[in-house]
Formats: sequence, C-alpha cells, structure tokens
Amino acid sequence: MSNKTYLLGGYQTDFIRNWSKENKHLMAMYQEAVEGAMKEVKIDPEEIDVAHVGNFAAELYCMQGHLGAFFVNIDPAFRGLPTSRHEAACASGSIAIMAADAEIEAGRYDLACVLGVEQMKTVDPAEGGNFLGTAAWYELEGKDVEFPFPKLFGQLGDEYDKRYGLKYEYLAEISNINYSNARKNPLAQTRTWYMNKAHACLQDDNNPAVGGRVRISDCSQVTDGAAAVFLASEKYAQKWAERNGKKLSDIPYIKGWGHHTAPILLTDKFEESKDNEYILPHVRSTVTDAYKRAGIADVSGVDGIETHDCFTTSEYMAIDHFGLTKPGESWKAIEEGVIALDGKCPINPSGGLIGAGHPVGATGTRQVLDCYKQVTDTAGDFQIKGAKNMITLNIGGSGTTSVSFVIGVD
Amino acid sequence: MDREIKKVALLGANGNMGYGSGALFTRSDCEVTFLARSAEKAQAGLDSAKKQVRSVSVGSKASVGSYDDNLEQACKDADIIFEAVAENMAIKNEMFDKVDKYRRPDSIVATVSSGLDISKLAENRSDSFKKHFLGLHYFNPPNVIVGTEIIPGEHTDPGIVDFLIDWCTKSQNRVMVKTANTPGFAGNRIGFKVLNEAAQLAEEYGSVYIDYLVGRYTGRAMPPLATIDLVGFDVHKAIVDNVVENVPEGADEAIETYKLPAYMQKLIDQGILGMKTRGGFFKRVDRVPHYLDFATGEYKESSSIKLPKLDFMEKMKTMHRIGRYEQAMKTFASAEGDEAKLAQKVIAGYISYSFHRAGEITETITGIDMIMGTGFNWAPPSVLVDLIGVKETVQMMDKCEIPVPASLKEADPKQKFFNEQNVNLGKFFVAK
Repeated sequence: MSNKTYLLGGYQTDFIRNWSKENKHLMAMYQEAVEGAMKEVKIDPEEIDVAHVGNFAAELYCMQGHLGAFFVNIDPAFRGLPTSRHEAACASGSIAIMAADAEIEAGRYDLACVLGVEQMKTVDPAEGGNFLGTAAWYELEGKDVEFPFPKLFGQLGDEYDKRYGLKYEYLAEISNINYSNARKNPLAQTRTWYMNKAHACLQDDNNPAVGGRVRISDCSQVTDGAAAVFLASEKYAQKWAERNGKKLSDIPYIKGWGHHTAPILLTDKFEESKDNEYILPHVRSTVTDAYKRAGIADVSGVDGIETHDCFTTSEYMAIDHFGLTKPGESWKAIEEGVIALDGKCPINPSGGLIGAGHPVGATGTRQVLDCYKQVTDTAGDFQIKGAKNMITLNIGGSGTTSVSFVIGVD
Repeated sequence: MDREIKKVALLGANGNMGYGSGALFTRSDCEVTFLARSAEKAQAGLDSAKKQVRSVSVGSKASVGSYDDNLEQACKDADIIFEAVAENMAIKNEMFDKVDKYRRPDSIVATVSSGLDISKLAENRSDSFKKHFLGLHYFNPPNVIVGTEIIPGEHTDPGIVDFLIDWCTKSQNRVMVKTANTPGFAGNRIGFKVLNEAAQLAEEYGSVYIDYLVGRYTGRAMPPLATIDLVGFDVHKAIVDNVVENVPEGADEAIETYKLPAYMQKLIDQGILGMKTRGGFFKRVDRVPHYLDFATGEYKESSSIKLPKLDFMEKMKTMHRIGRYEQAMKTFASAEGDEAKLAQKVIAGYISYSFHRAGEITETITGIDMIMGTGFNWAPPSVLVDLIGVKETVQMMDKCEIPVPASLKEADPKQKFFNEQNVNLGKFFVAK
C-alpha cells in the first residue's frame, strides 16, 4: 500500500475582487494566498519542501510565464525550493495536486504547498473568451468563434437532448442552487448578486443566450483568484497534529483519485460514446476510479460533491456520471432535491464555478479546499451536516482532462 | 415569538435608497409593496429597481401603490415598514403618524435615514411604535455596498435589533454594524471627517494635489475629493453641518476638521454640487480630466498641475502591486518631507479619530473597522495600525501633532487589532 497524503487545509482569496482594478500583479495573489495559507494552517515557511503551481494561461492574460518560479519570491525561506507549474486548462489546479500527491506517496517530500492561481480580468470578455478557446482545439473549435466554450457546452446539452431529452427548467434549477449556495459562502464571487430561478428562466436582454441553449445564468464566472492547500506525509501530519492538539485520525486525507483524458475535439467525444450510455465515458471512469481507490462502492459513499459546473450542462452531465441517477436521468436528482444543500447528496455547497467563481487555474485547488472545510466541519453557513467524505470533479476543456479526488476522514 | 419577514411596505419607493432597498428585499423572497405619492411614481421606482439589479424578476415579488390608496393596507400586511422618503424630519413625521395608526402592533418600522436622530423620530408615538422602531442604514447603492448600520433608538426592543442583525446578515448578505444614535452614526461620522479635512486642505494646496497625496494608495477605493463629487456637495454639507450642530461642545477633539470650508458653501450657492450637476472639484471635458480653479471659477486641465514624484509614494505603489502591504504602510509611516507629513496628518487623523470614537459611536473599534471596510471601501483603521505597528502609529501621530488615543498609547506593541476572518486586507490597497 502506498503512503497516505494528508490534507492540512489552506486559504482562498475572496473571489469577489477585481485585481486589475487594484492594479495588482499576479505576484500579489501568490503573496496573499500563500501567506494566508501559512497563517491559517500554522505552518512556517521553512517547513515547506516543495511547491506546485496550477495555472492555465498567465502567458495570455498577464504576459507572464515561468509561474513556478514566482513562488520563491513569496518568502526569503523559499529560495532554492523546488517548484513547478502545471497546466491542463480548467483542470490545472487538480493536476498540480496530483503531482504533489504523487511525490508525497513516493516519499520524496513531507510537506507540499499547492497553489492554484488565475488573473482573468486583465482583458475584456471577448478577448478572454478567445483565450479560453485555447482549452479546446483552437484552430478547429475556437478560432473566429465568439465565446467558443458556451457553444461547446451548449452542444453537450444538445447531445443530452438528442439521446435522452432535456428540459431547460432543470438547467435553471442547477443555476439557482449554485447561486443560492454561493450566498452562504463569504468568499463567493456572486454572493451579493441578484439571481433567482425566475431570473434564470428568463431569456431577455439581461439573460441572453450565448451558446445555443446556454444563457448567461448558465455560465460560470470570469474570476480573479487563488487557492492554496497543504499536502503532507504521515510523518509531517503526525507532528503537525501533535503541535496543534489534534489527533492524526481527525486529519483528512486523499482517499482516492481518478484521472483520464479524452480526445480533445468534442465531436470525437460524442462519436466515441455513441453506443455508450455515458456521454463522456472518460469522465465516468475518472469518477469510478476515485471511488475504487477510496474503497467506496459508489456515490452513496460520499456526503457531498464539489463538481465542475463551468456551465449548467456540465453539472447536468456530472449528476449521472457520478451515478446519482441512471444515465440520462439527471433531472430526477434535481427534481427530488437530492443535490440541494439540504439534500441527500448536495452538489457544490460552495456555489461551484457558477456561484463561487471560476479562476480557471485555481478551481481544482479551491474544490479540494472546500471539501477539506466540509469534512472538518469548518464550512460555516454552507456546511453539510456531518460530512465525512467528499468528492471533486475538475474538468479541463470540453470534458477532455478530468480529475477527481475523494477527500475524507475515517 | 418566531418572527419572520415576508411582507414589506416600502415608503419612498421612487428615491434612490427606496428602490435600491426594495430590490434588496425582493431578493430575499419578500413581497414588497412599492409606495410613493402616486402609483405612477411607485411604478417608476420599481422600474428603476429592475434596472439597477438588471433583472425584471424583481417584478414577480413586487406591487405598486400610492400613499392615499394603499398605505393603510400595506402597513397592515407588512412585517416590516421600511421608510425611505426625503431626509427631512417634517416629511418623515407626517409619514410616521400614519404608519403608527395603520401598522400591526408587532411589525418593525425602520428608517433608512443617514443621520437624523432616531429617538426623536419616534417621539410622541405609541409605545409599540417606539419599541419596534430603529434605523436601518443601507449605503448607496445597496446591491453593491454590503456594509449596513443598524441604529436602535432610546426605546427600541433589543430583541428586534438582534433579530434584524441576524436576518439582514443571512437573508441579505449584509455586514451589519450596530451604532449609537449619534450624529452621522458611525460610517459617515468617521468618513466625512476625512473627506471634509481633505476639502479644507484643498483650499491651500489645490484639489488635484490633495487627491494625489491622499490617493488610493493610502488604502481607499477612491480619492477623497472625487468621493465628495460622487456624494454631492449638498449631501456632504448636510452631513458635516449635522455633526457640528449636534455633537455636544467639547465632546469631539477634531471638530475643527468638520467645519465646511467657506469656498464650498460658495460653490453650493452657485449650484455646483458635484457629479449630479456635471462638475464639482473635477469634471471631464471631452473625456479629458479637468479641475475647478477656485480662484477663477473655471475648469482647467488637471494635467496642467505638475505633481511631484515622491519616492515614498512610488515605493508604496510598487509594494502594493506585489502584495507587500505591510512594507508599504511602514514606508508610509516613516516617510520624511512636507508632502509625506501632509498625507500622514490625514491618515493619522483618521486612525486617531476612529480610536477616539470607539466605545462612543460603536461598542468597540471593530464596528468602525467593519463599516469603513464594507461601507466606504477604505482600509479599516485597525488594519492600518496592524500593518504600520502600534509604536510607529503613535510616533506618526506625535509627529503630526494628532492626539493619541489612550487605547493605542497603552496598547502592547505587539497587539493586533483586526481579526475578522474572510476579509482580504489586500483589497483595500490599490497600487495607483
């Protein structure tokens, strides 16, 4: 059996902020997130052995590469620290965690800091939408297309409609739940916004369609933000637990993970799955791998989900791919209140990418941090009562790279 | 009893604060009756509410009516009667006479007044009214600014205050600050001290220079004189005059900084009120920034004022930009030179005034911190002390001949004053 990787918590910046308006460099985000995490988790800079940075496209948004290196500038104690940057579009944060997790499993290091970071409000929405297009096959799916991703995820809705039928009211309810949950999250971008189901059901000047059936209220946000988490070996976690008056058994760990990559073109994905009951079978495998590695049979083994709702259609897809319903019957879980905050298996108590926000490279680390909060009973107003095990799903591109973690305590 | 807020009677629905607050209540799934002198005016308010929050869904939770035809029924139905009519004692009194007659004995009555005496507004009314009446001061626009003051009057039931603090926090995402019923309450009392002092200094140093020196890099979303332009000279005058007239003599060590400069009164008399009259301290002519030359009464290009490049300021902006706020503020406090001293005087004055008022306008300094952070978007005074250091803050006050509050004089040099989780301190420090 491999070594366990413990999760010691971390820090998220307030996703409501616009760092361009503050005239801040990406470095400020590094500084605030990692300093915040060290303070929150009570870790000294000298203790950190290795750092991993998840980021999608700082070269485009900020004209800045070599993002691992910036970590060293946070504190003089970090000079010489091994660092690297990981990119897998919107799954970049999770891929960075995968790297840190693997190193700790292998026994190379005892304490890793993983920082997900993205500054997106440096450009106008059209240019930003074009940058995001590079998460698809740009030349074939993104170039000269206005807002390529809403269109691609609109097509995911079309595919559901074709195979199983899909009513818009269910997408509106997904939007409504995410916005409602976000109101309870003091770090969520949309916590003060005016949003409700009636608004989501409208299609007017305030809520236009931007990609087929996908309206503004179905989209995640353009967000500036960072989230940092600490991953630790049993040796370090034991020491940390003792000095903080905790028991090792109360500290969450990564119980399981899944990671698969599908062909990048959305049409190839649909072609591949035409005879499969799951529309994105590699996403399904990611989730079932995570269950298996965590030693749980299925979704009944978790108390809640933090999923990748870059659009309401992606969450609609996630519901049956997690196994909450039979394939094509995601609407049932929505109708029966299963995914609501007080439901049997709440999805995105944080508000998800729609409600909490979606700083692309930080989303994976933010999801894991929110799961940490749930299983340590520190999520405040968006706490799932008695949560012991949570699962994430973080997706890059149009369902291309998928990563899932089961985070829990025994 | 299990109190809840489901129905709201909104008085003064056609004013800014009226429709803005109305939208906020519909967001919490309340049914809101928008009321004004005529149903047409109330409808105009509802339309503005839809526009402000960019959703016609406001309408599904709202109805409109006039005081003559609908006030009685709306007050009978309402769990809270929210008053946002003109900021005038007589007009409000006329309205509250009717409200007292029509309301249920258990309903809450709240006024959005930003400065009138809450106890006085409840005078000569029924005991039930007095018990259920308080100030609920949203800042404009309420869909954006979450800082909110709650002001109990002399006879307000503390249970009502606690209930509303909890309800507004949970249902409206407000940051609630309980304040004393003192002139300007907490936010405006602290904020307009700084704004008015900047206006006083502008007479000697010029408005472009003062907004440069006390700019965003000192921990604020907007420079002070630009803020007065946004608020309006008339509103500014009403707030500072109210403080000067109603604060007991000798009770405010910095009352001199509260006196409206004579040149501003002259401008008000000429009808120059700020952005609402398309020009105040500043205006844009063909998109080019201009400033008002007080001597000639003409607007001139702001770029004609040669601003000195100041080392400490440049250094601070560079540090803010990379997230080194502590180093930046320490640089500020230790900077030498006349320019630095002038900026330090305003900031040290802000900190000193806030700590002097803690315990008087709010229970502790935390209330002032929260309303300055969430109502004004200024770095809270405690945050500044924490970053600069207790000893260094006191030294800065001494150097600028600003009175040092006892709570700082006697503090442990390592004491930290600001301890609110989930508030990102970095957001207050703009690298411009």
